[in-house]
Amino acid sequence: MDFAGKRVWFYLLSLSVIVPGVIFLILFWLQPGIDFTGGSEMKLRFADDVKQSDLRVELADQGHPDARVQIAGDLYLIHTKELTEGEKGELVEALKGALSPDGIEDLAFDFVSPVVASETVTAAMWAVLAAVVGIFFYVWWAFRNVPSPFRYGTAAIVALAHDTLIVMGIFAILGQVADVEVNTMFLIALLTVIGYSVNDTIVVFDRVRENVQVYPNRELSDVVNISISESLGRSLNTSLTLLFTLLAMILFGGPTIRAFLLVLVIGVVSGTYSSIGIASQLVVSWEEGDFGRLYRRVSPFGAR
Amino acid sequence: MRRYAKTLIVVAVLLTLSVLILGFQRIDFIDRGSEDTLLGLSLGLDLQGGSYLVYQAEEIDPVTGEGSVPSEDAMESLKRSIERRVNASGLGLPIIQRMGDNRLLIQLAGVTDIARAESIIGETAQLVFKHRRLEVPRDLDEIDADDIVDVSAQVIPVDEQGRLSTTTDPALLPLPAFPETMFFPETSTATSTATSTPIAMTLSLPLLVVEFTDGGAAKFAEVVDRLSLSFIESITAASDTSFAPAPPSRLDVSVEGETPLRFEVTGLSIAQIGATNRFAFPFPADSVGNQLTELGPAQAMLGVNPSIRFTEIQAQVDEPINLTGDDLARAYPSQQSQSGTPIIVLEFKSRGAQIFGELTAEIAGSLTDAIAIFLDDEELISPRVTTAITAGNAIIQGRDFDVERVRDISLLLESGKLPIPITQVEKRTVDAILGADSLRKSVIAGVIGLGLVVLFMVLYYRLPGLAAALALLIYVILVLAIFKMIPVTLDLSGVAAIILSVGMAVDANILIFERMKEELRAGRTLTSAVNIGFNRAWPAIRDGNVSTLITCGILFWFADQLGASLVQSFSAALAIGVVTSMFSAIVITRTLLRAVASTNVSRKVRLFVPAAGAQLPQQASATAAQRS
Repeated sequence: MDFAGKRVWFYLLSLSVIVPGVIFLILFWLQPGIDFTGGSEMKLRFADDVKQSDLRVELADQGHPDARVQIAGDLYLIHTKELTEGEKGELVEALKGALSPDGIEDLAFDFVSPVVASETVTAAMWAVLAAVVGIFFYVWWAFRNVPSPFRYGTAAIVALAHDTLIVMGIFAILGQVADVEVNTMFLIALLTVIGYSVNDTIVVFDRVRENVQVYPNRELSDVVNISISESLGRSLNTSLTLLFTLLAMILFGGPTIRAFLLVLVIGVVSGTYSSIGIASQLVVSWEEGDFGRLYRRVSPFGAR
Repeated sequence: MRRYAKTLIVVAVLLTLSVLILGFQRIDFIDRGSEDTLLGLSLGLDLQGGSYLVYQAEEIDPVTGEGSVPSEDAMESLKRSIERRVNASGLGLPIIQRMGDNRLLIQLAGVTDIARAESIIGETAQLVFKHRRLEVPRDLDEIDADDIVDVSAQVIPVDEQGRLSTTTDPALLPLPAFPETMFFPETSTATSTATSTPIAMTLSLPLLVVEFTDGGAAKFAEVVDRLSLSFIESITAASDTSFAPAPPSRLDVSVEGETPLRFEVTGLSIAQIGATNRFAFPFPADSVGNQLTELGPAQAMLGVNPSIRFTEIQAQVDEPINLTGDDLARAYPSQQSQSGTPIIVLEFKSRGAQIFGELTAEIAGSLTDAIAIFLDDEELISPRVTTAITAGNAIIQGRDFDVERVRDISLLLESGKLPIPITQVEKRTVDAILGADSLRKSVIAGVIGLGLVVLFMVLYYRLPGLAAALALLIYVILVLAIFKMIPVTLDLSGVAAIILSVGMAVDANILIFERMKEELRAGRTLTSAVNIGFNRAWPAIRDGNVSTLITCGILFWFADQLGASLVQSFSAALAIGVVTSMFSAIVITRTLLRAVASTNVSRKVRLFVPAAGAQLPQQASATAAQRS
């Protein structure tokens, strides 16, 4: 199958998903949860049927106009400014009186101070950076025997950035549409996606690495096609089994880690796709000088 | 013996061991496991409910007001103080860990009253020194002659229950109790003393009855209440053997009449007669010590117009002396150099040394003065002072001191000494209901997920799939056993990590099987296909897992920076999972397949290469053929 010949379509498909997400990221960025901004979050389960909009109105009446309300299964996650135990108790009582006279289960209450939150943000940035740099060098080293190993490292990183952007873009959109917030768990999931994305890319590259030596006289695009075909069964099967378990977790697991699992599902799909459609194709594009051609075509200076 | 057989035995032993580890809830001799969690695993707070509190300590410079990072010693002492406080509060066993330079992480499993936990942890215990004076007389100046209407000797009828009755008011009140008959009643409640006065019940003894004005009666009732309370406290203390019982406060009554009378009564020996303004006292014994049994002599002793004066003898008075834990530099257990008797050494700071010096100079040698030390209003110890101590260094010795008691008291004295001010910077609380719910759902989801994977593997890869499924189950058991042994706390993110690592384990198997299929299509024997398949898949498995381990390492570092236990348990769980999954794929699956390959089953190649596999790209078999 000629994957490499269709690489432009792969790029366009990715862009069509990434661009809307990036626009949302630029306009709104992600909705940061208490882990990153500080504040309090409570998880409540109402005995009565309570609408999200009613809950927002009631929270505003109780003096929390900027409270954010997320739905997680049968729970409501309410993010407010910092509250003490006493203030939380009063708020829960007030909500019970106004919205759910049959009762409220007060299931969890978290508080993060701004000091800790800002440390988390700093550490998170370092962690992502360190993960990216570490993986880049490892891939470079692992492919040291292939011609131009630097390209493989770079392509793996671009694929990884691709997956990260897709996940972040979708969550930026969800943040606006459904008040979905990102927290430390989101960050863990994102780093896991990074790990998975690279893992998957490496499997495909491993075939390329092997086949480059088996067919030293073939074009790289042919070698990449052969390699993708050979690893396609494995890639799909692995993704499918992972998706089985993740979907089982989403359907039957608790509501509290659903957002975490959603990141992983998006990441697994995107990671499998990017190994074939992005990472491998970038190596081919680089070899065949696609980017130079593109540059010459669009740039007035390149036209000469 | 064939090579795989040895490996099989090793795997079997590991598996048996793991099953045993998980089978026994609690393994005492290595101190692992727990009686009341799933498989005895150490569960995170989000799976069993509880709270996770982070406090930051900051040493504030009293002069500049600037905060600074506390010293190592200060943090350790802070940790010990909080540990002691939480342990003493009955909140359950806390896990208290240092985090970074200036933070403490406190984990409390299953605590529901988080507000109480916070107040216990957050409060700075106040250590206060007071000057204790014993047997302090206080003239009851507020009750003067104008408050008293009449003083007389009377015999008051007693009803069947032994209670005084009055003609003016039918209400009955307890008979005044005689000191001789009830100094140490069996119980310390005031009501029960009414029945323990058999003498008065049978004999109609004369009583000293004082009638007050309305205002006087109210004031006197207060005094009686105070005295009664002191009496009860004294008895309660007497039943607590660790304290020498202090005598109760008493009322010194002196009557100026025909014969001057002076006697002391405790609070419980004074009774109000009905709801009147009259109070009855037991009539004092005469000069020889005989109890008066007739009304006549009693009246004669009082004479015509007796006057009466009350003095309250307070058992103990604790006067504040403006000496607190802030003035204490150190407190530590030690031994007397010659006898080796355990003692407590106190070192005061300069201001403390001065106040302490002045007081000790004043009360040195006195038997009725002591220095009482309170921790959060709870009396710790109240030593007497033998000599003036002006140097700021004091020792406390006690007859009942042993090494343990001396250490405990020293610790308590130290804990009141300003543990560095702390502020809460993070809190995570999960209700036990939500925890149990999450645990149950995770188990269900895990079983279903694993079931789906096994089903897929067997259907798609047939016999090798079965081997992989078996290896996967063994893998799950091994990982859980490892979690229990290390021990790794399993929380929701850890569950997610296990799920992911199951995915990785499956991935390794799939990689191997795909390679194996290529080799089989190329016409190799099963044994060599197994070997070559594994060898060819290895670099991809290795590289993929190493990159995951890199991510784990970074996450772990990240968690360490933050003290984010969520992240830490995730990365630890994932790393353990990845390493074990490699073992599962490379060793267990391979051994199982080799074992199969050596049997007759191996001839039925269809068991290994299902029809579905034939639809794979033709190049695959072509390349394999070229290589072979």
